[in-house]
Amino acid sequence: MTALLTIENLGKRFGGFIALDGIGLTVNTGERVGLIGPNGSGKSTLVNCISGTLANETGTVHFDGAPMNGLTAHQRTRAGLARSFQLPRPFATLTVAENLQVPLLYTVNARAGTHLSAAEIDARCAELLVLVGLADKAGEHPRDLTQVEMRKLELARALAADPKLLIADEAMAGLSHSEVVDIVALLIRLNERGITIILIEHIMRAVMKFSQRLIVLVSGKKIADGMPDAVIRDPAVERAYIGQ
Amino acid sequence: MRSSIVFFLICAVIGAVVFGIARLIDNDYLFFAGYVVLQYIVLATAWNILGGYTGYVNFGSAAFFALGAYASVFLYKIYPPLPIPALILIGAVISGIVGLGMGYLTLRLRGAFFAIATLALAVVLQTLITNWTYLGGARGAYVIRPIDVPLIGPYMQYLCLLMLGLVVIALTVARSIERSRLGLGFAAIRDDELAAEASGVPTLKLKLIATTISGAIMGMAGAPFPYYLGYVQPQSAFAFDYAVNSIAMPMIGGTTSWVGPLIGAILLGSLQQVANVTPLAQVNLLIVGLLIVDCVIIAPNGILGLVQRRRTARPFAADPAVFALLFAVNVIPIYFLHELELSQRTLEVIFWAILIFLAFARGRLVGHPWLVALPIAAAVLGVVPGPSWLWLVAAFALTVALVLGLALRPGAPEPLAQGKAR
Amino acid sequence: MGQGGVVEFSYDLVVNALIAGLLLGAFYAAVTVGVSISFGMLDIVNIAHPAFVILGSYIAYIASRLTGIDPILASIVMLPAFYALGALVYQVYYASFERYGQEALRGLAFFFGLLFVTEVSLVLLFGVDYRYVEAAYIGPNLCSTEIGKFAVIQAVCSLGIDMPLRMLVPALVALALFAALQLFLSGTFLGRAIMAVAQDQLALRLMAASPTRIKRIAFAISIATASIAGALLIVIQPVEPSIGREYIGRVFAICVLGGLGSLTGTLIGALLLGIVESFTATFYGPSWAPAVAFGFLLLTLAVRPAGLFGR
Repeated sequence: MTALLTIENLGKRFGGFIALDGIGLTVNTGERVGLIGPNGSGKSTLVNCISGTLANETGTVHFDGAPMNGLTAHQRTRAGLARSFQLPRPFATLTVAENLQVPLLYTVNARAGTHLSAAEIDARCAELLVLVGLADKAGEHPRDLTQVEMRKLELARALAADPKLLIADEAMAGLSHSEVVDIVALLIRLNERGITIILIEHIMRAVMKFSQRLIVLVSGKKIADGMPDAVIRDPAVERAYIGQ
Repeated sequence: MRSSIVFFLICAVIGAVVFGIARLIDNDYLFFAGYVVLQYIVLATAWNILGGYTGYVNFGSAAFFALGAYASVFLYKIYPPLPIPALILIGAVISGIVGLGMGYLTLRLRGAFFAIATLALAVVLQTLITNWTYLGGARGAYVIRPIDVPLIGPYMQYLCLLMLGLVVIALTVARSIERSRLGLGFAAIRDDELAAEASGVPTLKLKLIATTISGAIMGMAGAPFPYYLGYVQPQSAFAFDYAVNSIAMPMIGGTTSWVGPLIGAILLGSLQQVANVTPLAQVNLLIVGLLIVDCVIIAPNGILGLVQRRRTARPFAADPAVFALLFAVNVIPIYFLHELELSQRTLEVIFWAILIFLAFARGRLVGHPWLVALPIAAAVLGVVPGPSWLWLVAAFALTVALVLGLALRPGAPEPLAQGKAR
Repeated sequence: MGQGGVVEFSYDLVVNALIAGLLLGAFYAAVTVGVSISFGMLDIVNIAHPAFVILGSYIAYIASRLTGIDPILASIVMLPAFYALGALVYQVYYASFERYGQEALRGLAFFFGLLFVTEVSLVLLFGVDYRYVEAAYIGPNLCSTEIGKFAVIQAVCSLGIDMPLRMLVPALVALALFAALQLFLSGTFLGRAIMAVAQDQLALRLMAASPTRIKRIAFAISIATASIAGALLIVIQPVEPSIGREYIGRVFAICVLGGLGSLTGTLIGALLLGIVESFTATFYGPSWAPAVAFGFLLLTLAVRPAGLFGR
């Protein structure tokens, strides 16, 4: 088991408010990790710090053996670290297909040794859209999509960057039961193809089905990290959820 | 790449044809005024690369334009016989470098800071040049230009030909960017910079490219400027008109494509040449300002957006405050233009048209479409020559239209088609 | 002694430049406080604010000429009108841009349009001549007035420091305005709601307060301050419509220097700018003054964009 992502003593504050306090965790290659925690516990801030959207004040992030501190978000994405946003952030004036072309052109094509032709890019776009179930929406604009479809686009866009590690931030909010099942199955399939995945979710059945390991974040601190069944029964975790 | 070359050739041919026709008409004023319009096409196109494509507003177009102009003055003082094409190249390089530097200082911050910084740059540069007596300072600098140019004839025609060339270059550059990977990156930055960065777009690098290209093209437009009148002073090179128009023209034409600034510059530029005939040069600027406010609220995607029916379903006349402000804003120029001679009041028509459209939109929304009759009646009364009490009646009709428009409320709220809810 | 004379001469100059700078800075703070609220707290880039200030100047001018009333008093009377204007402008801004998340380009263009529509309308109405007002405190210097007879003031005057009342009175009014705003923001529920909306709109919704309403009130207050700032301006110097443009850079330079969202930062930034401008004008000549503010702005943006007291 090689460590793909190593975080040590990560800290982030906003003015006087400590959002993340000394977070340390490791994600191994090929793992499926679930990350849960009450609202405001710092999950999205953690994702932002890992992906480079926010700069952490203390601590280090190592990805694929390379230090990430100081690298911008686009450099980290090119290194193989992709994330989807909790609140979908599509490119509003581009079509759904063009939304996927952006990471294909700027991440995949930017990596040394890769050069996709225009035809290959179109093919990948189509493939990704089929994967998430948006094949018939390729020419639409994001404002004509439903909330659910926008979340799928968000996921597809992160996948378009051909990542080694995918962080899916609440990709399933608002989906129906069967859609949740579909997405979980999709993510497990992707994982079997070799993508390491961190899933951040509130939908417990999805998290339990998906995760090989479960991490719990409360008020900016990591309070549990281990096998899902054990973590769920951890008294500290129970207290955190019920005590809120 | 190939389509860009084809486009370039087509534009060049069209440009040559236009020039040929102008020569046949052989009216000096046509060239004099035409130069200004062509200049604006270049400026508007350049602005749009940074503003429309990438989403970063530049209030300091005058700075880059004037840099090109004063670089020419500087070189003229050192070494008079440099040909203008060479000056254009040098102007492009200098303005491009300044654009790069400015971008490096400010583009890591939010777009609002960049916009304000561009304003600051314009003022700082203007102060510097006003105090630099070698370049003429506040009193200005003179440039001696020949009366005729071999092969082409009158000097003004030569300048116009050069500016036509710049138009062709600018349009080709804009269009190729639009259709390239670079253009996609710009659009991603404009739509959501954070998401663009997360998708692998090197946002800082692309923004710097945009600023540099935009600044360089503006510098190119400015380089021949001293030769236009044979004289240049900071007041004219840094004129507020440049900042205003380079924003207004793309916004009114449509910011998402190279066609928008072209349309906007031709329309607005010609309009202003017409308005320059009025004794009130300020009216010019007033009209542009009002059109910006109108455009931004009623037709956010400009004329192109109206033509492509890309207006979202949002009813702008729904909010009474918006209706009131727009109404007031469009009455202002009518009031001021009314003071002029009838023959110079052609511009009034635009604002009457907007008022009528406003009343129509509002009337339809509140379920009383007859509201539009009031401004139509007012327009007729206001425009037709006659005793001055006609104008009072017109004003009264307008006031009634405003009050009724505000007092009548819409029926059931319109469902906004903003993405279907679950 | 020659040497002593030179030292005393420049000491005098320096101190007077310093005092003038402080007074000027206090006035600048009054002009800027509106933008501190709209840009610093509400994130609305209202570059048209200086135009509203000039509007305030002209209204104070008309009121003063017509009724002989003191211009600053006139501006206070006009506060409700400016408040209403601010509410209207915010409502249009909100309905057209903020609600749809398109505020970046179009909002800026909107205020840009308003800026010179206001300016040009004033030119068309009043012409480009300078307008000025008259009041009891425009003209005399502090040391030669009734108040100047007090011992403390006399002590200051004997040091060779004198200041024109037309600078002193606006500076004092400006400080009073600041004090009033600070009290309002930290002492009243509405004021605290405004500070809250600057930081966390969701929390405000959970408190069953409407962020839109709070923002509208805050923006209206920011425009209302323009009324007073305008009166102060025309007391300090004669006014013509295009003066507003000089202030765009000053105002945003101060906001950025002081740090967005901090009223104290605005005051200190304004004082700093006033002092630097004053020294530049004294020792290098007034034609360099416009570049000072903007140069400051570029410098601050390049070096420390969060400003002195920024969030």
